[in-house]
Amino acid sequence: MATALPVRAQVPAAGQATKQHASWSPYDDNGGTVVAVAGDDYCIVAASTRMSTGYSILTRNKSKILRLNPKCVVASAGMQADMETLHKMLHSRHVTYQFNHRRPMSCPATAQLLSNTLYYKRFFPYYTFNLCAGLDDEGRGAVYTYDAIGSYERVGYGCQGSGKELIQPVLDNQLKAASPLVLPQQQWLSSLPLEQAVDLVKGAFVSAGERDIYTGDDVEILIITKDGIRTDSLQLKRD
Amino acid sequence: MFLTRSEYDRGVNTFSPEGRLFQVEYAIEAIKLGSTAIAVRTDEGVVMAVEKRVTSPLLEPSSIEKVAEIDDHIGVAMSGLTADARTLIDHGRVETQQHRFTYNEPMPLESLTQSLCDLALRFGEDEEGEVGMSRPFGVALLVAGWDAEGGPVLFHTDPSGTYVQYEAKAIGSGSEGAQTALQESYRKDMTLKEAEVLALSTLKQVMEEKVTATNVDIARVAPKWHLYSPTEVEEVIARL
Amino acid sequence: MMRISCPLIDGPATSAAQDACGLRELGVGGAPVDSFPLPAVQDIDSFEREVVEYVKPNHGTTTLGFIFQGGVIIAVDSRASQGSYISSQTVKKVIEINPYLLGTMAGGAADCQFWERNLGRQCRLYELANGKRITVRGASKLLANTMFSYRGMGLSMGTMVAGWDEAGPGLYYVDSDGQRTKGKLFSVGSGSLYAYGVLDEGYRWDLSVEEAVELGLRSIYHATFRDAASGGTVSVYHVTQEGWTKVRGEDVGELHFRFYPDPAKHPCNSVDPLAV
Repeated sequence: MATALPVRAQVPAAGQATKQHASWSPYDDNGGTVVAVAGDDYCIVAASTRMSTGYSILTRNKSKILRLNPKCVVASAGMQADMETLHKMLHSRHVTYQFNHRRPMSCPATAQLLSNTLYYKRFFPYYTFNLCAGLDDEGRGAVYTYDAIGSYERVGYGCQGSGKELIQPVLDNQLKAASPLVLPQQQWLSSLPLEQAVDLVKGAFVSAGERDIYTGDDVEILIITKDGIRTDSLQLKRD
Repeated sequence: MFLTRSEYDRGVNTFSPEGRLFQVEYAIEAIKLGSTAIAVRTDEGVVMAVEKRVTSPLLEPSSIEKVAEIDDHIGVAMSGLTADARTLIDHGRVETQQHRFTYNEPMPLESLTQSLCDLALRFGEDEEGEVGMSRPFGVALLVAGWDAEGGPVLFHTDPSGTYVQYEAKAIGSGSEGAQTALQESYRKDMTLKEAEVLALSTLKQVMEEKVTATNVDIARVAPKWHLYSPTEVEEVIARL
Repeated sequence: MMRISCPLIDGPATSAAQDACGLRELGVGGAPVDSFPLPAVQDIDSFEREVVEYVKPNHGTTTLGFIFQGGVIIAVDSRASQGSYISSQTVKKVIEINPYLLGTMAGGAADCQFWERNLGRQCRLYELANGKRITVRGASKLLANTMFSYRGMGLSMGTMVAGWDEAGPGLYYVDSDGQRTKGKLFSVGSGSLYAYGVLDEGYRWDLSVEEAVELGLRSIYHATFRDAASGGTVSVYHVTQEGWTKVRGEDVGELHFRFYPDPAKHPCNSVDPLAV
């Protein structure tokens, strides 16, 4: 019987460790913005498709959304290499989960798994800023926002990435509801009609594209409802 | 036949020419020496009733544990070498808590049962740097639980690592008679209260002693685990 | 950076941590992983400091807790900031470990969330194995042991573990340095200095429950007023023999007008008597 070993972060022994340049940094910010808005029976997830480094645009067509199943997706901004690794890891975990438990992973379960997966790299974090979005067990829209090392919270809408300072205030202005912490409990999920919410997300991206050099080219939009995932897109300026 | 047995029944890793693993079969035999345990599934939940052999008036009956909580939505009833069951129970508790920690949801019952059976099947394995199990577990379990999706479920596991789903199942020394009795009286549309009576009356039929609040344990998962207090057990006895 | 191995301290209490991350299932490279991966650098300390600049984890808080004749009061704000950006105004900083135990969150949000969830799991396993609830003393010690085993790795956590057991009300302060202190009154976080001011002034052992709740609420409110890294809503919990209940949840914006109905009377807004 395999006994659980105590967790012990392994420090490479002196000499064995790779010598690094004094200012070595393993991170690069490839920019990009991701947004998610939850409604009563839908969830919208949108991500810009530009990928840059510094002032250079590397590609104009890089998806930042991982579709795990028809009720749950993960969108990540930040460093592309870490995003790719994280998405591969989550995909593989989702496949094994389905083998073991004979059902797709629910959105709340994925949210917890993503948090733990991020924390597992606590001492060498994934340089990614994530949103987990989809429908919860009752069929309501669900959005979870994260920091890079796995603290997370369920919210009604969220924005991460290079354009978050520009977009989040707009969403707050249009969608802010009572805090879920307030007693007596009040309705804290905003319930905008779907079409209006899509327009809001599109408008927010157009504005961010005007002022953020890392947000541009295209926006990939997923609309998650009980009938599955519908896609939409929005062209931003290419400059 | 007897000759082949004596040659092929020593190692847990050796098949007999007829394709049998005698040690595993013997382990299954060990369960037939154990006290009887019965579980009955209804749409309202699963009821477990177990016999406790109070072999001496000096014995403290509450120290005999034949039913155990794995998580608040899963319980097990056991028969056979109960010491072996402790290992399985501890494993099950860690697994269910682990699942909650990773996915923030209760572990599906079948996954837990599978995980217990994976452990039961590890006999004869020598893991690298670790001492493997020297023999199969000599215990059978009735795993009763409530799934978020499927509602009440009942599984039976044995030392070979096989698990099968049941509506009602008896294990232990009185299992043969009890299983026939269950087969005759079980109905799919039973209420939980009726299941309590069915489980306990079936147990009563195969027990040598008179049923009292001290020599049986009753537990249910409906939808949460609950171990009956002596007064609750007496209340069921009164309904027999 | 060398670390001393203390298997006794790490013991069964933290052995669960590898599974805590689901590491066993991750099974990187076929072999089970039993540790958090570290970067291949010689100076972990400065690397971790640099990483914080990059990833800017959620931070900042005011939390408080005190014992009085009617039980334990826990009060917290709900703001999280990444540098100067407010990343959330709705963080749940009281972690409900089980119906009789609460943990508060100050410092790194992820560190608190993860390890207090892990504590919840350890407490549940304790309960299943021993057939009784863990004491506040035991629970806080489990957490402190975990923290001690990661000392010097850059974890950031300042928490209060509060609850009720056979010994009565319990309140412990545990932090990421491994410190663990039993006490009657604590405040933790960037706004704690302000909260202490109000709290120390108003605290008495024989406060009524109503007064105690109000004192907790007021202390957090004043901390959010002076500390930029605190804000959002104030949540107040009350722990008694029957377990905890959340008794208050109020928006700071509305509290301001309840405490100062006339804006002109507020010290920050009052008319300058020296002005001509």
